[in-house]
Amino acid sequence: MGHHLFPPRGRRGRDRDRALASLFVVPTVAYVAALILGPMVLAVAFAVSDVTVADPTFDWAGLAGIERALADPVFWQALLNTCVITSLTTSLAVVGGNVVARLMLARVYGRWLVRLCVLLPWVTPVTVSSVAWLWMLDSVYSPLDWAGRQLGLLGVGESVNWLGRPSTAMASVVAVQAWRLTPLTAVIIMAGLVSIPRNIYEAARVDGAGRWLRARFMTVPLTAPIVAVAGLFCAVFTFSDMAVVRVLTNGGPTHSTEVLATLAFRRGIDGGDVAQGAAVALFLLPVLLAATLTILGLVRRMVAR
Amino acid sequence: MLPSNLLSARLSRRRFVGGAAVAGVALAAGCAHEDDDTFGAVGPAEQFTPPTAKLSGTLRILAWSHFVPTYDRWFDGFVRRWAGQVGVDVTVDHIDLGQITTRVAAEIYAGRGHDLIQYVAPLPQFEPAVLDLTDLVREANRRWGPQLELCRRSSFNPATNRYFAYAPGWVPDPGNYRRSMWSKIGLPDGPSSWDELLRGGAEIRRATGVQLGLGMSQELDSNMVGRSLLWSFGSSVQDAEGRVTLDTPEAVAAVEFMTRLYRQAMTDEVFSWIPTSNNQGLVAGRLSYISNSISAWRTAQRSTPAIAADIDFLPALAGPAGAVAAHHLVHNWVIPKYATGAAAGQEFLLHYTANFAAATYSSMLYDLCAWPSRTPELATWLQRDPFRADPPGKLGLLVDAARWSADLGHPGTANAAVGDVAGSFVIPDMFARAARGEVSAAVAVADAAAQVRSIYARWRARGLVA
Repeated sequence: MGHHLFPPRGRRGRDRDRALASLFVVPTVAYVAALILGPMVLAVAFAVSDVTVADPTFDWAGLAGIERALADPVFWQALLNTCVITSLTTSLAVVGGNVVARLMLARVYGRWLVRLCVLLPWVTPVTVSSVAWLWMLDSVYSPLDWAGRQLGLLGVGESVNWLGRPSTAMASVVAVQAWRLTPLTAVIIMAGLVSIPRNIYEAARVDGAGRWLRARFMTVPLTAPIVAVAGLFCAVFTFSDMAVVRVLTNGGPTHSTEVLATLAFRRGIDGGDVAQGAAVALFLLPVLLAATLTILGLVRRMVAR
Repeated sequence: MLPSNLLSARLSRRRFVGGAAVAGVALAAGCAHEDDDTFGAVGPAEQFTPPTAKLSGTLRILAWSHFVPTYDRWFDGFVRRWAGQVGVDVTVDHIDLGQITTRVAAEIYAGRGHDLIQYVAPLPQFEPAVLDLTDLVREANRRWGPQLELCRRSSFNPATNRYFAYAPGWVPDPGNYRRSMWSKIGLPDGPSSWDELLRGGAEIRRATGVQLGLGMSQELDSNMVGRSLLWSFGSSVQDAEGRVTLDTPEAVAAVEFMTRLYRQAMTDEVFSWIPTSNNQGLVAGRLSYISNSISAWRTAQRSTPAIAADIDFLPALAGPAGAVAAHHLVHNWVIPKYATGAAAGQEFLLHYTANFAAATYSSMLYDLCAWPSRTPELATWLQRDPFRADPPGKLGLLVDAARWSADLGHPGTANAAVGDVAGSFVIPDMFARAARGEVSAAVAVADAAAQVRSIYARWRARGLVA
């Protein structure tokens, strides 16, 4: 006959636990309110005002700023570009993250070095890495072009001019974003892979399941939620990022890589019209909100399982 | 760790003194090398005029990181010396040109930061948040005569009748061309008109693959060259009264011309132009002509002297309506309303202007003064470059650079809308869309004019545009 090591607590004890838990959550709530909710409310307020950098007095302007944004063809181009860059980056980073996660788990000599190299793009500040890529893609001094010339892919003195054409500029932005975010997805996916109990695989192997069947019916379903979370994180970071585009192309050529974040910055800060910048930035909100809610839903499902 | 007796045995007093002497010589040589950036030239002596009132407290200055490094070294020392003389505690922060607008916006919006801020383009969009410097400009005019018109226009808003900035200096934007390349096509003195630029640039590109370097991107140089072309074709963003006048046949002709220029004499590299692109390209021998200050050539003097000797300069190119070039940069010093060191800041600006000859010299003739009487030796310097130009009179054409240069708001003055149009890069985009074949020249101009009208309407509603 056994007895409980920790006897069941009474109602008063449970109430005290709840109160203590709420108390512990207060700093997080305060932090979120001060640094996320506050600026978000401020952005909405600015979007319906006539605030400028030089004149912060709030005057109600209604939906005029939003209407002006919607009437601006550059806004629609920026919205489209934001969606294209986000979806391409996310796809590449998720596929790349899967590959890299497996590489990081492989039992090879110098695994710590592989992991370090993989993580470097993520731990390097985004502006620093973007400036490095700016030089890598320079029209005169690009080492990529130099390598292309050495390999005979480019003629003497020829350069791709990565950032001067809409197609290659867009490809460059996507590539740099994917390069930057692949380590993040790789780490998240690696955590998911590690969490799958080994005995399930061993049982499947005993039952005669081959590598393909194990991947198809075990690895993929068991890691799908964590891959989705990785993808959503990647999408959120790309959707709201302005540093890569700002440094590499500043939205050019002719707005072909302009994204909502750079357009909002240009209108709001460079142009001094904070209200207009906030109106443009407001369109980031629904997408980011939907992505956040989806991430939370997936996490809840994973916890419940 | 070495025992002390061993150390003393190895390092006798004689050897220590000898070593110290060698180190001192090496250090002096190092310093000489730094100073050697100016090729050993010694600038004019500084003057000190005591301030009209006793100063105290602190003064925080935010200035751009100058393209000519010797200037920043001089400026920091100059500020220190003045601070010691007047008893003000001064700090100077230099930041990259591209970061200043953002920094100014952040500080002004936060209501705290530097007392005195320098930018190198007009900052009219911040007018409501900065001090009216009319009295300061009036005092400068009283001391040194009338201010250069393009500097006045870059700092004065007639709609509010306020000087939103103090503009003591400016930088011209001559054409920089490779004499050897243009000699081969029969134009050893370079192109004198936009038509010659097109003909010669196309011929050089056909023969050698070397292109022209006129940016059509979202950056400063592209803004300037686009305006120069518009003005030379008889169009402009606004008229003298601040009315939008972009949507004209002359503007369409200018855009069509730029399209021809791009197709025949440039590559799509110009769509990814950044402020250093023309410097890099010219020094690397990849460009036959650029529109830029003298900084690219000064860089080449040190890094590639043969190319520097081959670079020559030209005034504004002539078009159907005349020859006008935008200034390259214009100094705009602003004092935010929150500044506690405003009085010291204004006194410093007067002292700085009084010594502008030293500023011009330290910038290796890059910065020119808005009050020409402050640089009486300028013509001599330009005609006989103290920094070893080859030939020495290479910069002689800059003596009357103000005659063929104009401010961003030309033929009107700078205002918040002019600043916003420049900050939104509407003009380079207009040229680039047509050049890339995305739309016709007429549509590109019409779209740009619509954007400009919208920007003007916004700022007019706020009372900042006439």
